[in-house]
Amino acid sequence: MCAAWTLKHKPKSLRDVVGNKETIRKFVDWVKSWEGGIPKNRAAFLYGPPGIGKTVTVEALANDFHMELVEKNASDYRTEEAIKRFAGLASQYGSLFGGKRIILLDELDGLTGTADKGGVKATIEIVKTAQCPVVLIANNAYNPRFSTLRNYCILIEFKKPPAGEVMKHLKRICLREGIQVEEDALKFIARRSEGDVRSAVNDFQALAQGKKKLTYDDVLWLGYRDRQETIFAVLRMIIYSKTCEGAKRAVRMADVDLDMLFQWIYENVPAHLTDPHDLASAMDALSMADVYRGRIRRTRDWSFMRYIIDFMTAGVAMARVNTKPSGWIPFKFPQRIRMLSRSKAERAMQLSIGYKIKRKCHVSAVRASKDILPYLRIIFKNNADMAAGLAKWLDLDLRMVEYLAGSKKKSKDIIELLS
Amino acid sequence: MWAEKYRPKTLDGMVDQKEIVERLRSFVKSRNVSHCIFAGPPGTGKTTAALCLARDLYGDAYRGHIMELNASDERGINVVRETVKTFARVRSIGEIPFKIMVLDESDNMTSDAQQALRRTMERYTETCRFILIANYSGKIIEPIQSRCAPFRFTYLPRKDHDQHLRLIAEKENLNLLDDGLDAIFEVCGGDLRRAINTLQAAASLNRPIDAKVIYSIAGRAHPADVRKMIETAMGGNFLEARKQLRDMIQKYGVAGSDIIRQIHTEIFRSTVPEPWKLKLADIAGEIDYRLVEGADEEVQLSALLARLVEAGYELRETR
Repeated sequence: MCAAWTLKHKPKSLRDVVGNKETIRKFVDWVKSWEGGIPKNRAAFLYGPPGIGKTVTVEALANDFHMELVEKNASDYRTEEAIKRFAGLASQYGSLFGGKRIILLDELDGLTGTADKGGVKATIEIVKTAQCPVVLIANNAYNPRFSTLRNYCILIEFKKPPAGEVMKHLKRICLREGIQVEEDALKFIARRSEGDVRSAVNDFQALAQGKKKLTYDDVLWLGYRDRQETIFAVLRMIIYSKTCEGAKRAVRMADVDLDMLFQWIYENVPAHLTDPHDLASAMDALSMADVYRGRIRRTRDWSFMRYIIDFMTAGVAMARVNTKPSGWIPFKFPQRIRMLSRSKAERAMQLSIGYKIKRKCHVSAVRASKDILPYLRIIFKNNADMAAGLAKWLDLDLRMVEYLAGSKKKSKDIIELLS
Repeated sequence: MWAEKYRPKTLDGMVDQKEIVERLRSFVKSRNVSHCIFAGPPGTGKTTAALCLARDLYGDAYRGHIMELNASDERGINVVRETVKTFARVRSIGEIPFKIMVLDESDNMTSDAQQALRRTMERYTETCRFILIANYSGKIIEPIQSRCAPFRFTYLPRKDHDQHLRLIAEKENLNLLDDGLDAIFEVCGGDLRRAINTLQAAASLNRPIDAKVIYSIAGRAHPADVRKMIETAMGGNFLEARKQLRDMIQKYGVAGSDIIRQIHTEIFRSTVPEPWKLKLADIAGEIDYRLVEGADEEVQLSALLARLVEAGYELRETR
């Protein structure tokens, strides 16, 4: 009765594993290849974010193929010593009971430096000499620590399954548990999990267990109490808090840089406060937070920080007057941070052209790059003769010519004229 | 660039600003120059006037007697302490005992730097005269203003604007049509530098220059379509408006202060009911002030956009 649903409803067969169909086929093909002798890679390295079915896949496979699964995970000691002892098992394909054997080393991310000393090295040794399929699992296969190990493995990436797949799995659980759930409620849970099936099932159990019926309103509240360490949870707390104190508390829990958190809030507020009045007052609060940021910059008095926090948390939370909670709205990564890093090089180029213009035209480089450069761009795209003359007069280098012309082909004509 | 090629060399060659030119001529005649502030919108001949004055005063070797500094590039106090002082305190050799320091875009100087400048101006008056060039004299601190003779530049009247552009068109063998000229004036509003740049870019297409060509050049040169952004916001689409704003700032490097100035202009050109225009101007003014105080232009301006979204919504409600 009280068993965790993640265990109780764990897929027993590969057929039931959520999503990643192609990936699983690749994995199965590799396991099957053992039938024809030891393949090139003796180990498969399954990696991907947590809760999307890596371990479950291996277990289901062992079940489907009637293989003996020998497993070690982070809870076991994994020093060189311990792993070597384990190695003997890997030295033969057939197991004592006539079936075939598959070895699973789970949660490799957990191989910590000192306690599991030499663990990676010992793992490599096992993989090199294994006589049966070895499966390694980690969240991040590209951790530098695994760089040598990777050479001996076939890498198989597990991706987050789409919400639809997660929903299918949840529906299956509903049937088995005999619970009636509104479609929208399931959708909400599935989307919120962002592909983490395990957490979706956990959330679902927390909400639905012992109930006969689950409505959309029941699940909405899920959004408010959540894993505190994630930025999403912090954002949710801030944007949906009913009290100033509640919103401010979120910052204390957040293990994120305050500037970064500001960017997250700034990015996501519009989607979550859709009423025009609410949006205006939330943005006004962020504007005031920014004013205090400017004041700190000018006075170097960091005690103003508290007002920044007030405005960016409580100010945003209190803005919600008319907007109704409207189901699951995903949080987005701050776009401008993405854009800023992309356009940095471009702005540097613009400014360096600005300095060239400045030398001839009695304007500041800053203004030249804004006011004059756009016209140069038009000229360089359309008229190689005029462009060449200008390039010579302004003493532009080849990179600048190419930038202004917009393409290698166009800049070639200009450069030919120059030489 | 034609804007440079056809920049007048002497005060006599200046297209307009007759009164100002007259006063500057008297400087030349008396061989004495006071500290000056040249204030006015861009492209109205402020820098040109300063250069012409210097040339008329010192002759063709004027370059050795003046120094141009651009506050937008070098705006800190250290520039005043070092570069400006070093230049200002050394006596000029020749007939005229002082040099001229041209501080362009000086409304971008920090107030610290302006304070430092104030004393430098006083101390080295004997050896150096300052010409401060600015779009707004209001951004120059009071004590400096009171030490300077003010010169207010205004946008060129249509007649002078046309005359100058036609002259260039003739010399460059361009086919500049009447409606093209109209369009240049409409797009550039009497900013002569911009007008000439537009003309040159239009000429690069090797086509008769008509209104259509000019509009397409202007559109491509300044994608900062503030009007469209305002319409998007007032239509209720905040996210799209914010994206347009972001493009202006990040992709095209438009300054926040320029954007808000354009927003202010557009408010009064727009079709919102008259009383609303003042309301919106008030909102713009508040954000303009916060822009100065704040740290992040996009955050400030998008707060303004959110207010526009709200205003658009209220307008629809009341109709």
